[in-house]
Amino acid sequence: MAGRVITVTSGKGGVGKTTFSANVSAALAELGKKAVAVDTDVGLRNLDIVMGLENRIVYDLVDVVEGRCRLQKAIIRDKRIATLHMLPAAQTRDKSAVSPDAMEKICAELRSQFDFTIIDSPAGIESGFQNAIAGADEVVIVTTPHVSAIRDADRVIGLLEAAEKQQIFLVINRLQAAMVRRGDMLDIPDILDILAIELLGIIPEDESIVVSSNRGELAALHAASPAGQAYKNIARRLLGEDAPLMPVDEDKGLLKWLARLFKGRAL
Amino acid sequence: MGFLDKLMKHLSPGGYAQPSKQAAKERLKLALTYDRGGLAQGTIEQLRDGIIQVIAQHLTINEDEIEINFDRTSEQDRLIASIPLRMVPRPRMKGGQATTTAEKTPTQSSKT
Repeated sequence: MAGRVITVTSGKGGVGKTTFSANVSAALAELGKKAVAVDTDVGLRNLDIVMGLENRIVYDLVDVVEGRCRLQKAIIRDKRIATLHMLPAAQTRDKSAVSPDAMEKICAELRSQFDFTIIDSPAGIESGFQNAIAGADEVVIVTTPHVSAIRDADRVIGLLEAAEKQQIFLVINRLQAAMVRRGDMLDIPDILDILAIELLGIIPEDESIVVSSNRGELAALHAASPAGQAYKNIARRLLGEDAPLMPVDEDKGLLKWLARLFKGRAL
Repeated sequence: MGFLDKLMKHLSPGGYAQPSKQAAKERLKLALTYDRGGLAQGTIEQLRDGIIQVIAQHLTINEDEIEINFDRTSEQDRLIASIPLRMVPRPRMKGGQATTTAEKTPTQSSKT
């Protein structure tokens, strides 16, 4: 059975695409799926350092595109989880080194080898973004509950629809339940009302993300991390399971609303 | 907007105290309506010029102080144009004869 190629993009920078790509890949791998996370942010690579694999890079995406090595050689296998892999971007080149055609070819190869290919897109809507979506079967848009991120997400959704990508899902990152309760942060129904795409999941603001990336560890592999658990739940939803969207929150009202919204809906 | 709503809005300058997410939501909806295309750059200027042209054919207007704005709330969308009219000087009465200063034209003595 062919794998799925999922691009993670946002428009806005710094909303959590790389963290999402790293953690959801890890969660999928931990659930037994063969997963590869691909960094397409050529020139500004970060997936490697977030995953703690920065010292293991020998070849990268541009080496593959330019024929200096085969795809297999550039893919790094994570020593912590046997089914987790990563394809790094080049650091000393820029996005002009890769083309949408090249990415489509690479994605075709990855699709045949991996259950899940998670492509970490750079910020923006220029060539880096175009490269990242070229081979995608599905696209996840990461946003935070801020006006700037949501506005950019809307623009990206428009571009994706124009590019005839039909499977587009939303992830709302860095949600702060207390601020939402006070009315000082846009909540899930507000954001869905504005963006009008299907919600894949939500991730709470969580200091353990900083700690884990400091250490090159993945929060999704730590039971004590609320964000980590949210990533795990998203991975389960990607596998078609009816998992809760985030860990148990003190606000039972919010949880009840989520339960109502997603009754019987599996991806 | 009802009278009471209007009153409330005037009493508290920032709009009646609402949690900030409401402002965020309204502003986003407005921004996205622009972004999603309807309005190209300069459309407001074109609207302004068009409106000035039509109204100036019938009334004397103060072009510098024209205001054209969108007023969007979750209930309605309005284009609001506020056009100050220039006061036309009142005709002056002088010895029973009505003259206006504008009509006085200097007569030139011409040489023959």
